[in-house]
Amino acid sequence: MDEFKNRIDLSKVVIREALERFGRNLVIAWTGGKDSTLMLWLYQEVCRELSVTLPTCMFIDEGDSFEEILDFIDKVKRQWEVDVVTIQNADVSNKAKELGDIIRVSDLNSRNREELAKLDFNEENFPFEPESYVCNHLMKTAPMNLFIEERGVQAVSTAIRRDEQEARIEEEYFSPRQTPAHTRVHPMLHCSERDIWNMIHGNDIPFCSLYYQGYRSLGIRSNTTKNSVLPAWEQDLENTVEREGRGQEKEQIMAKLRDLGYM
Amino acid sequence: MSLLKKFRRKGAGKTVIIGLDGVPYSLLTDLMQKGYLKNMTSIFEQGHFAPLEVSIPEISSVSWSSFMTGTQPGEHGIFGFIDLVPETYQMTFPNFSNLQTRTLFDELGDRKKRSVVINLPSTYPAREIPGVLISGFVAIDINKAVYPRTLIPKLQEFNYYIDVDTKKGREDHDFLFRDLDRTLVGRELAAAYLWEQEDWDLFVLVITGTDRLLHFLWDAYGNANHPHHQNFIEYFEKVDGVVGRFYQRHTELSGFTDNRNHFLMLSDHGFTGIRSEVCLNRWLQENGFLSFTTDEPQSLEDIADGSKAFALDPSRIYINYEGRYPGGKVAPSDAAKIKERIASGLKNLVFEGAPVIQRVFDRDEIYYGPLVDRGPDIILLANPGFDLKGKVYSPTVFGRSVLQGMHTQKDAFLYSDKKKKVDNICQIKEIIMNDF
Repeated sequence: MDEFKNRIDLSKVVIREALERFGRNLVIAWTGGKDSTLMLWLYQEVCRELSVTLPTCMFIDEGDSFEEILDFIDKVKRQWEVDVVTIQNADVSNKAKELGDIIRVSDLNSRNREELAKLDFNEENFPFEPESYVCNHLMKTAPMNLFIEERGVQAVSTAIRRDEQEARIEEEYFSPRQTPAHTRVHPMLHCSERDIWNMIHGNDIPFCSLYYQGYRSLGIRSNTTKNSVLPAWEQDLENTVEREGRGQEKEQIMAKLRDLGYM
Repeated sequence: MSLLKKFRRKGAGKTVIIGLDGVPYSLLTDLMQKGYLKNMTSIFEQGHFAPLEVSIPEISSVSWSSFMTGTQPGEHGIFGFIDLVPETYQMTFPNFSNLQTRTLFDELGDRKKRSVVINLPSTYPAREIPGVLISGFVAIDINKAVYPRTLIPKLQEFNYYIDVDTKKGREDHDFLFRDLDRTLVGRELAAAYLWEQEDWDLFVLVITGTDRLLHFLWDAYGNANHPHHQNFIEYFEKVDGVVGRFYQRHTELSGFTDNRNHFLMLSDHGFTGIRSEVCLNRWLQENGFLSFTTDEPQSLEDIADGSKAFALDPSRIYINYEGRYPGGKVAPSDAAKIKERIASGLKNLVFEGAPVIQRVFDRDEIYYGPLVDRGPDIILLANPGFDLKGKVYSPTVFGRSVLQGMHTQKDAFLYSDKKKKVDNICQIKEIIMNDF
């Protein structure tokens, strides 16, 4: 348990340093997933200790988010009184009605065409497949770059972990990037997936209902699948969440009526 | 678009209605006398400002439904927030699609008049109306609360919230005030946007934060030493600010100087402090009219066969008729006696020596129309201070919760700059229709 506590304390050390170095010029990249929500919670804790305002959060809307994630973000953002800016690449997503639709480069605005040039992308068109190299850049990286430039952001904190992907093994806590120049801050690098869940459960930190349903990791809807029907932390928890849309709304109506004393 | 709008509208008058959910006539009068609410004070100097009676029961779903249809539950079909699926004890939540009468917005549409309606309770899920509709309480999903849907991204830009977070706000009062402010800001941004962008003849804006504040912090109002007294006043001042700005816009409408336009304000019920909550089902249980199959019933479906009557929120009593309900054994010939016993028992109910019930109404005394048979058999009006509850189970008749304020059926208010006067909220629709 000591080692686990040390790992969480290390995350807070990174956060403390990030706040001291960048202050209001740091934004927290929040996806609504378990890792970034925990990271946001840790930022809250540290900010309280330091008596500083919580930095602004940035949510990237790739146009294919789970409803449950959007609802979760809405709920938590209000409860924790977090300032969240949603960014998106409307110029791209407006041109596609469905996944797979073809988008013509010449129809895009000059900024997007510049972003494509950065990738050395020379084709005339591309399909709207959010997980493809081109789309991923346009839908995630490009709007973030624009946001960084427009707001004078100096640091972006993300919740990536080394144990998620091979490619991340070399990452550092503070990692300089170019075009636009900024620093990436990664307070969760050394945490394991188990650490994340232990922390969440140990502190009653809210998380998206999809994790109950077997999703280990939440990307965009079209390419996220469940590996199992067991909740993500692989415990045998009672699943009492109603999946069916109407059922959930009825529960919510009852909750509202109860709050005001009508039930 | 706006330029064209100003020229095109030269003949017609416009009507603006600002609703303040739950705000009592007496509270407004008191605050104005103390020097607060400068905008409303100035506005109410001309025109007619008076108390208003509302629906029975005096809750928002019934009252606003009566406002927008100009009638009472026997015709519009909304008897409360909760109802029962016919011939069962299953709970259901009547919504806008259950409203059985056309609304004033539909009828204005017949006369080619457009309405912008923002945050009117009991209009969820939103459906097409001639104009724009943003549903109010109880609205869960913003995607189903807006007509036309193309407006939704704009509302998100304004950080528009349908309601405050009542779950958190009822316990955390500091949070409540911040949430009330946030919600009011988004509400005003959306309303100001629609005022400018839309072509409209009737503009309806309802502020519901007032009702939330009065439910949770009624005590902060009367007591100047209450830790949240200042916050309470400040919120009402902010509401007054919103009213002032929209009244200003109203004076800038063409037609203002010729008195062609109409500015109204109203509330859907009043408020007062709670002395005790009163669980009607517990009273029915203790007096032999109701029993359950379990010690801690979760819903009316746990009702035991042979029960004579049960209650639904907040003040409705239903006789468990044979043929009407699955476990019902009461024959029509026995009903009159049972109702008489219930009525006299409740009239004699006291709390610390004070009588709880003001009036006991038989259904036919207050409801008429094709839907009366769906309604309750007895409806109660309590004395101020006694907050009637329709919850299924409580270990005692009397008790308290975190709620501090309760609704009143009298002491709502109506203001009309054209000096229109009515006694009851269901008479307002006619006034509006006459404007056009």
